[in-house]
Amino acid sequence: MLPIACEDPAGYADRSRRFADVPAGDGSRHAITVHRPASLSGIVGTEQTPQGQPVEVSCATCHEVLRPPPELPASARTLGGPHSGLRFEHGSNECRSCHDPERYDRLRLASGESVPMTDALRLCAQCHGTQHRDWLHGAHGGMNGHWDLTRGPRLRNHCVDCHDPHAPAFPRFRPMPPPPDAPRRRADHG
Amino acid sequence: MDEKPTRRVALKVLGATLGAAAFERALSPLRELSEITSVGDFMQKHYRELSRDEMNAVLRRLEDETQQRYGREVTIRDVRPTEGVQFAYALNLSVCIGCRRCADACHVENNHDRPTHQSYIRVLEMTSGSMDMEQGNTGYDHTVPAEGKFYMPVQCQQCENPPCTKVCPVEATWQEPDGIVVVDYNWCIGCRYCEAACPYHARRFNWHKPEIPAAEINPDQSYLSNRIRPQGVVEKCTFCLHRTREGRLPACLEACPTGARVFGNVLDPNSDIRWVLENKRVFVLKEELGTRPRFFYFFDV
Amino acid sequence: MAHSGVPHHLSYPRFLLKVLDRATDGTWRFYAWMFVLTAIALVGANTWAWQVARGMAVTAMSDHVSWGLYIANFTFAVGLAAGGVMMVIPAYLYHDEDMHDVVIIGELLSVAAIVMALGFVVVDLGRPDRFWHMIPGLGKFHWPVSMLTWDVIVLNGYLAINLHVCGYLVYTRYRGERPDPRWYLPFVFLSIIWAISIHTVTAFLYSGLGGRPFWNSALLAPRFLASAFVTGPAFIILSLQLVRRFTAFKVPEGAIRRLLDILRVAALVNLFMLAAELFTHFYTGGHHAAAVRYLWLGMHGHHELVPWMWTSITLNLGAVAVLLTPSLRERRVVINTALVAIFAAVWIEKGMGLIVPGFVPSTLHELVPYAPSIAEWKVTAGVWALGLMVFTVALKVGLQAMTGELRAPGAQADLAVEEKEVA
Repeated sequence: MLPIACEDPAGYADRSRRFADVPAGDGSRHAITVHRPASLSGIVGTEQTPQGQPVEVSCATCHEVLRPPPELPASARTLGGPHSGLRFEHGSNECRSCHDPERYDRLRLASGESVPMTDALRLCAQCHGTQHRDWLHGAHGGMNGHWDLTRGPRLRNHCVDCHDPHAPAFPRFRPMPPPPDAPRRRADHG
Repeated sequence: MDEKPTRRVALKVLGATLGAAAFERALSPLRELSEITSVGDFMQKHYRELSRDEMNAVLRRLEDETQQRYGREVTIRDVRPTEGVQFAYALNLSVCIGCRRCADACHVENNHDRPTHQSYIRVLEMTSGSMDMEQGNTGYDHTVPAEGKFYMPVQCQQCENPPCTKVCPVEATWQEPDGIVVVDYNWCIGCRYCEAACPYHARRFNWHKPEIPAAEINPDQSYLSNRIRPQGVVEKCTFCLHRTREGRLPACLEACPTGARVFGNVLDPNSDIRWVLENKRVFVLKEELGTRPRFFYFFDV
Repeated sequence: MAHSGVPHHLSYPRFLLKVLDRATDGTWRFYAWMFVLTAIALVGANTWAWQVARGMAVTAMSDHVSWGLYIANFTFAVGLAAGGVMMVIPAYLYHDEDMHDVVIIGELLSVAAIVMALGFVVVDLGRPDRFWHMIPGLGKFHWPVSMLTWDVIVLNGYLAINLHVCGYLVYTRYRGERPDPRWYLPFVFLSIIWAISIHTVTAFLYSGLGGRPFWNSALLAPRFLASAFVTGPAFIILSLQLVRRFTAFKVPEGAIRRLLDILRVAALVNLFMLAAELFTHFYTGGHHAAAVRYLWLGMHGHHELVPWMWTSITLNLGAVAVLLTPSLRERRVVINTALVAIFAAVWIEKGMGLIVPGFVPSTLHELVPYAPSIAEWKVTAGVWALGLMVFTVALKVGLQAMTGELRAPGAQADLAVEEKEVA
């Protein structure tokens, strides 16, 4: 920048317009809410209510009742009932790695503590600490709402919103179309 | 002797009249100028010269013109920055999958021209292990993310030392106190020197009057950012200042499904962006040019 | 020494009317020439009007190649204007008698070329209706930070200097008076420095941009000047021969010989600088060479500019070979062909070969090619036609003043003897 005497580079003729009229805040901060994925509370079945809404069955409906709990299958592929067709690709984990063997509708932390399914975030964080640390600082998982919590709330995604716990790899999909003025090559199409 | 000069002069006058008429016919398309400008537009002072009342009058006039030209009632505000705020943006290259939803959200939020599907964001598909943009490709159209590739969205870097604001002959573009480089669309003369100067392909020019169906218009607009820009002027990413100056997240960030984007006030020591800048190994593009961008990239490893 | 004795406030309007009269008087060839130029200019004006109304999408420019044929021609026209001063240096600094008689032609070329340059800038603006935003005081003139503002000052200043010098000389001769050196000599010397500055500043517009490595070279300004000193003299030599053919004005052979000497040196310097640039880019390789590679060899399957450049270098080298061959020196037709060839070669090199590759590949390394649209060619032709019209009329009036045809009633006709004493 060449030195220019007596010139404010962002000078405003009406200095009252330079900044916003910000009302004095009371210093309070709005909440950060973490989304509660429906899949942690139950299963969405194929049936519909008379009003056309899908029927949600809570885990407890079966798992509170089934005593003793059924044997864990050798592989997820042989699961039956409402869990048939479950795809499992989570490294070298097994069902017992996460699920409480006494109560399949609850999860078990590394300490042995049994937690409800809705607390899954704590479990994911135990192995995926770096991602959890990034998530806590807004660098993973996205958000909606406000960067400035003194002016509005923020909604965060839960791990399970993007990562199916049984096959957590982020899905691959078609992107939005390329810009019309982008140079195109034959290798662009897959 | 007397006859000839008079006849000569008469012929010249006739020629000049015909010439003037032809000239008028030649310039007749200029009658269509009413579709892209108005007397109020012509006479308007620079954004920074306007008083509050004058600014409000301009905003009302622009709202009327939008109603007339696009058939939609919109609100155009003059959203000013907050003191003590300096914006910065970070992008996680390990997490971006190249879905272009950010580019699409920008297209919708900023009332971009529909036929050209304009956006301020371009996503480069890069080869893992190389930052060579010459190996990059913006035209990819296959399932993402692809093997051996990473994705790098590029938009205005809101540089601390912007080469674009230096070159503008009429000061139609400048850097605001919160760091955002803005354009006064009613002052720009369309010389495109700033577009030539920008090293990041951040600026766009309105090669024709933007076309947007009334139903698709985002009616929440501001003077310096997402109001529908006129033909013949330059525009650019403003970090969605109509949202961010009111504490909200920019549209590109909200659209990102993986959470690769981080935004906030870098002066706030507790902000996410500060944490990223202090804990991740961030870098900027074309650092050797001395532009000092506010847009930082990082990998997780 | 006789004055016409009439006060200026009466004589000047009469002078202007006489100029208008003479500017519209001529042979059938003159009328035919001006008619053709007017027609082309009107086509250009109409196309430009459509461009202003419908937007610059009628051009082939894009956000990748955002400057094209208009700015290419602008750059070339500034060079032509600077080259006009190449007659001034020998005439006034070296007291070359032959050159002194014809130097006004070079200055008039500068006027016409600046008009063209300003014309090209105006047609390249997205919002020419907002032109007043550049006027200091009224608008916001971003001087001294923006190089474009420097260019506005130097180009308009150069136009003013040349208009003053030529206008003064023509007006005093009209009045049958001896020109007072105090009123024009300082401006003539100023125009020499100023001519260097207009093309240096124009080069600085491009060479200061770090984001455009093709332009970001210290050699850009020197190259501009070298090529300007090729095109200016080439155009003037051709014009001098036309003046000889179609007017009563005596063109000394010495003037043409001197201009050819200047042109030869400038052409060789220009080629040397080109070779230096090519070596630097191709030997180093890497990103820096991307634009040069695209320009001369093509890249990623795109070869749009390759034929242009090889045509340019062939014409350039061929013309230089001809101009350096002593046995061809008296073959006027061959020499003239070489002049046209080198003029075209530099037009390509400075126009399509300079502006467009600055944008290809883009700053994100995307290769989006550019070829001017029909509309751009029409507008460009229109601005050239306007420039040629200005040059024709200016020459007509200027030379008539020098030969004595343009005189106020009662003014002395022949000032030739007295002028030689002054200079």
